[in-house]
Amino acid sequence: MQVVFIEWAFGFLLATLGLFVPIILIASLGGKTRRLAIALIVGSNVMGCIVAALCFWRETTVRLDFSAFSPFPLALGIDRLSAFFLLLICTVAVPVAIFSIEYFDLHYAEKRRNWVWTFFSLFLASMILVVTASTGFAFLIGWELMTLLTAGLILMEGDSTERRHSVFLYLLMMHAGAAAVIGSFLLFLPFSHGLDFASLRSAGSVMPQGIRTMVFLLAFLGFGAKAGMIPLHIWLPRAHPIAPSPVSALMSGVMLKTAVYGFVRFVFDFLGGGPSWWSGYVVLAVGAVTGLLGILYAIAENDLKRLLAYSSVENIGIIFLGLGVSLVLLAHQAPLWAGLALVGALLHAFNHALFKSLLFLGAGAISDSTHTVNLEDLGGLQRRMPVTGLSLLVACCSIAGLPLFNGFVGEWIIFRSLLAGSVLSDTRAQIVLPLTVGILALIGGLAAACFVKVFGVAFLGRPRSAAAEDAQEAPPAMRVGLSLLAAACLGIGIFPGLFLRPLVSLVQTLVPGAGVPLETVSIARILPIAAAIVLGAAMAAGLLKRRERIARTWACGLPGLTTRMQYTSTVFSKPIRFVFSSVYKPNRKVDRLPPDQPYFPASVTYRSVRTTSYEKSIYRPFVELFLSAARGLRRMQTGNIQVYLLYIFLTLVLLLAFLRFQK
Amino acid sequence: MGLVEVATGRILDSFSVFLFLTILLMAVSRRVSTSVLLFSVQSAIIAGEAFATGFRERLVEAYVIGVLIVVIKVIAIPRAFFGLVGHLKTSSDVKASTTPTQSVFIAAAMIYLSYVAVQSYGQSVHVSEDALAAPIALILTGAFLMVSRKKALMQMLGLMVLENGIFLAALTTTFGMPLVIEIGVFFDLLMGLLLMGVFAFRIRDTFDHLDVSKLRRLRG
Amino acid sequence: MKIALNILQAILIILGAPLVRGIVARCKAFLQRRQGASIWRPYYDLAKLFRKEDLVPPTASAVFRVVPFILFATTICAVAFVPLLQPAALLASHGDFFLFVYLLAIGRFFLSLGAFDGGSAFGGMGASREALISCLAEAPFLLSFVAIAILASHADIAGMVSWTLQQNFFNVSAVHILAFTSLGMVVIAETGRMPVDNPTTHLELTMIHEAMILEYSGTRLALIEWASAIKLHAMLALLAALFFPWGMASGASVGFVALSLPLYCAKIGLLIILLAVIESGMAKLRMYLVPDFLGVASAVSVLAVIFTFLAKR
Repeated sequence: MQVVFIEWAFGFLLATLGLFVPIILIASLGGKTRRLAIALIVGSNVMGCIVAALCFWRETTVRLDFSAFSPFPLALGIDRLSAFFLLLICTVAVPVAIFSIEYFDLHYAEKRRNWVWTFFSLFLASMILVVTASTGFAFLIGWELMTLLTAGLILMEGDSTERRHSVFLYLLMMHAGAAAVIGSFLLFLPFSHGLDFASLRSAGSVMPQGIRTMVFLLAFLGFGAKAGMIPLHIWLPRAHPIAPSPVSALMSGVMLKTAVYGFVRFVFDFLGGGPSWWSGYVVLAVGAVTGLLGILYAIAENDLKRLLAYSSVENIGIIFLGLGVSLVLLAHQAPLWAGLALVGALLHAFNHALFKSLLFLGAGAISDSTHTVNLEDLGGLQRRMPVTGLSLLVACCSIAGLPLFNGFVGEWIIFRSLLAGSVLSDTRAQIVLPLTVGILALIGGLAAACFVKVFGVAFLGRPRSAAAEDAQEAPPAMRVGLSLLAAACLGIGIFPGLFLRPLVSLVQTLVPGAGVPLETVSIARILPIAAAIVLGAAMAAGLLKRRERIARTWACGLPGLTTRMQYTSTVFSKPIRFVFSSVYKPNRKVDRLPPDQPYFPASVTYRSVRTTSYEKSIYRPFVELFLSAARGLRRMQTGNIQVYLLYIFLTLVLLLAFLRFQK
Repeated sequence: MGLVEVATGRILDSFSVFLFLTILLMAVSRRVSTSVLLFSVQSAIIAGEAFATGFRERLVEAYVIGVLIVVIKVIAIPRAFFGLVGHLKTSSDVKASTTPTQSVFIAAAMIYLSYVAVQSYGQSVHVSEDALAAPIALILTGAFLMVSRKKALMQMLGLMVLENGIFLAALTTTFGMPLVIEIGVFFDLLMGLLLMGVFAFRIRDTFDHLDVSKLRRLRG
Repeated sequence: MKIALNILQAILIILGAPLVRGIVARCKAFLQRRQGASIWRPYYDLAKLFRKEDLVPPTASAVFRVVPFILFATTICAVAFVPLLQPAALLASHGDFFLFVYLLAIGRFFLSLGAFDGGSAFGGMGASREALISCLAEAPFLLSFVAIAILASHADIAGMVSWTLQQNFFNVSAVHILAFTSLGMVVIAETGRMPVDNPTTHLELTMIHEAMILEYSGTRLALIEWASAIKLHAMLALLAALFFPWGMASGASVGFVALSLPLYCAKIGLLIILLAVIESGMAKLRMYLVPDFLGVASAVSVLAVIFTFLAKR
């Protein structure tokens, strides 16, 4: 009975997002039908949450088969892993959709709005298609649709050469990644009789070692490009900032996680673990480098949305670090700890979806109110936008990995799995795993520093520009969206047990032999206790009798404080940029203009440009190689018709020779 | 008597850790006087090791060598160095070519390397792994100091640290070389220091600096 | 009885914190051949501050007003992890050292935010420098604990302390010496003592912690000062518990407790004297030399972790 309900509800969800809403919007004439469409979007996503929650918590699986309607096998199914990611998508989609009600109204003209909502709804449908696909065909349709729809949404935002270049790069990298993914699907074919996931799973266990390695590498490359691993991340800081904020929220929060889903599906479900002992270390190393470089680039940014894009790179690095640890532990026959690491990585993916979307929505609220996202022009927004500020404070605390907020729990579990792996008997694991704790700690510390900068410079102190001074609080719908996400962050941070139990049983289906690690139980027990102690102590201290008076800022007695005397975002990150200058390789130019008259000060301009360029050092040589090979091939095209006839003649001769020697 | 037993046992077992600490601090130090001070601490630890070995193995020679180390390496040589630094009136900076953070990680890597190198020898020589790895780490540190510090005085100090390492290796594996050889080595060191002092003055007078990386006229 | 003892431990740390600060100041004065203030002076300071009025800058928002309470509350929660008189504490067997380290990080995060809210240059400066120091100190902080945790096969602090208690005192291992060195350096950096930060200065060239709390006064300043004293006391107590736990009460009887309390005071006294000697003997490091200082701490803690597996071989 329940299964039937879930099937119908899921079908309704897909049909609404994929068919009904677009039809309504395209055919609609005015505001009322659009409101109906938006209500349908929100309602169907809520239904999606319920469906996913039922499948996730109650451990049911569903399957919908549409193969009759399409030329290739098209079936959808929700198993435990899909349910988790479906829950992720729908949980984030509801607040984002509510936020977008006001945001799209303010941002787009009447005629465009319908198209934007259409693309939005189709985008959600494509992501749901990807995570619930049960055949290769369905997966790849959803994969391609995600890319095309987001490119469309980005282009609808505006038009300029810069934007077109960024979209081109985005499409290029996404298609290169998709090619790798298609390749790794196709490698299964000699061993399985189709591309539906069940036969892929059984094929994975009988494939020879060489093919398994190829599948792993192609999947890692393809999903890594989509997720934004270094050095395949160059599209991320170009594409995410130029999309409209709710779409950036979905792209950063949810679309990157579909790549994580793909990787987990391929490597843990189909291949049953990495192909050999080194695969886990490769994933771990790439994840660590991505995390470290991502956050270092984020700290140096002043544009809030680019900063958030780089921070997404960092968090994807942490997730892949956790996945790498899991693979390493699996290869060393420690399934209990491998399961723990996988729980940590998946939980961090969910948490990141929540707080990253919250951050991007907040950036949207800020840009809506002040028309800028440059941190150097903001300031003092907390007093003018209190609800937005409080939600963003929760988000900044979560992303900094502070306890009692959700970002901490995933990282903590990954830390504990690293510690558990240190007692293995293998030398390599004994050195690498504990030292990874140090790298993860450094990444976490840098993330905290980065988001102190973000919140402190944008929301606290004095406003640094007139736009910031005139900022208004966000409209109510936007506030509702922000608060929902903030409440979710706090909820998972204080009561993670709700999530950990089903996650542990989910992982038990992926990693055979994984039991229930005690760490998940202990953290679920102690975080509420710690929250209670903190709350109690804070309230007790707050009851102390005190008198308060507003007085001028002291600042060691300096008179006449202006807003320009405050620390800016560039200066705040200077010490960290100095210590890590080998990563940034800054190129500094100082121009001095001679003064017109001898006793007046000269004008000095200082420009500092970051020059680590993946384009120059990695991509350009690669592209040059292709171009020179293409140039070599071009010589075959002489334009002379007799040469072309010669080619046909030569081919005939070769065929005859081939036939002759085949005997 | 029991307390002395225990003390010697402790010293023999744990001296290597303190040597590693002095190695790390020497990699980080930016002043010649700090490096020389650490060298004399190192020599004091090695002298303690010599005394403990003499007590345990009942070798009078070890006591004599210990006293010699204290007199020469802990007191005389550092005094000479400080005197040199004072008379030369150069800056006390060590002119390292690597930053302190890089140096200390290189030193940590060298300590790990020395453990890896002696892994297979520990059983056959009946000595604990720590006691074998410490002299090798000292030798590597001496070489590292000579390579990465550009001040002429630090070349000599690096040689001293290297000699410390060789002596310690001999002490732990064969409980010291014959006394005559030891005394010969000490005199070698003193000669070397004397020559180094003279040369330092000559270099400083001729070139006005003590930076060995700039002394490159002797090229083919 | 055990719970009562745990609560007593927490109260001792909280109430004894200003005394620890006073004794450190007195030792430093003695080493610098000064008279020095009375060791009870921090208590008088706190009492005076609690009586005074809170001045709030006009640019400050709710964050500024709330920061001292969050800092104080999270520091008290972290105190519940530290075993003092017995190898257990309120949360020491449920929570592990990761939670301890990151609870302290909450306080630091909010203090930096409160610094920004003052609207002057000093706050941002203090927050920027504190960000540099704290992000570089996280790695050696955690790695030192990891080294001991690997040896003890326990990640909760009570387990680590119990394991060390069962070891022979004279069996001092390389891992412990290295971990103690790096953890000591991290404690100096985290609590803002010389040579990383001068707790008595008010010159803008040298302020880090003082710059962040410049705009606070009255009750709020009292809570912040008390919280930083509690942090120092808790970290010293943790150092004593992790590396020299012998003398802790093994049972929960009054006799054992009465014996372990003076032993604890002696251990803390030795650590205080060591801290005072280091503080008086070294000049404050220029800010861009602090990363080198923390780099040495990182290398020593990495070496400690490497030695755990060398030792087990």
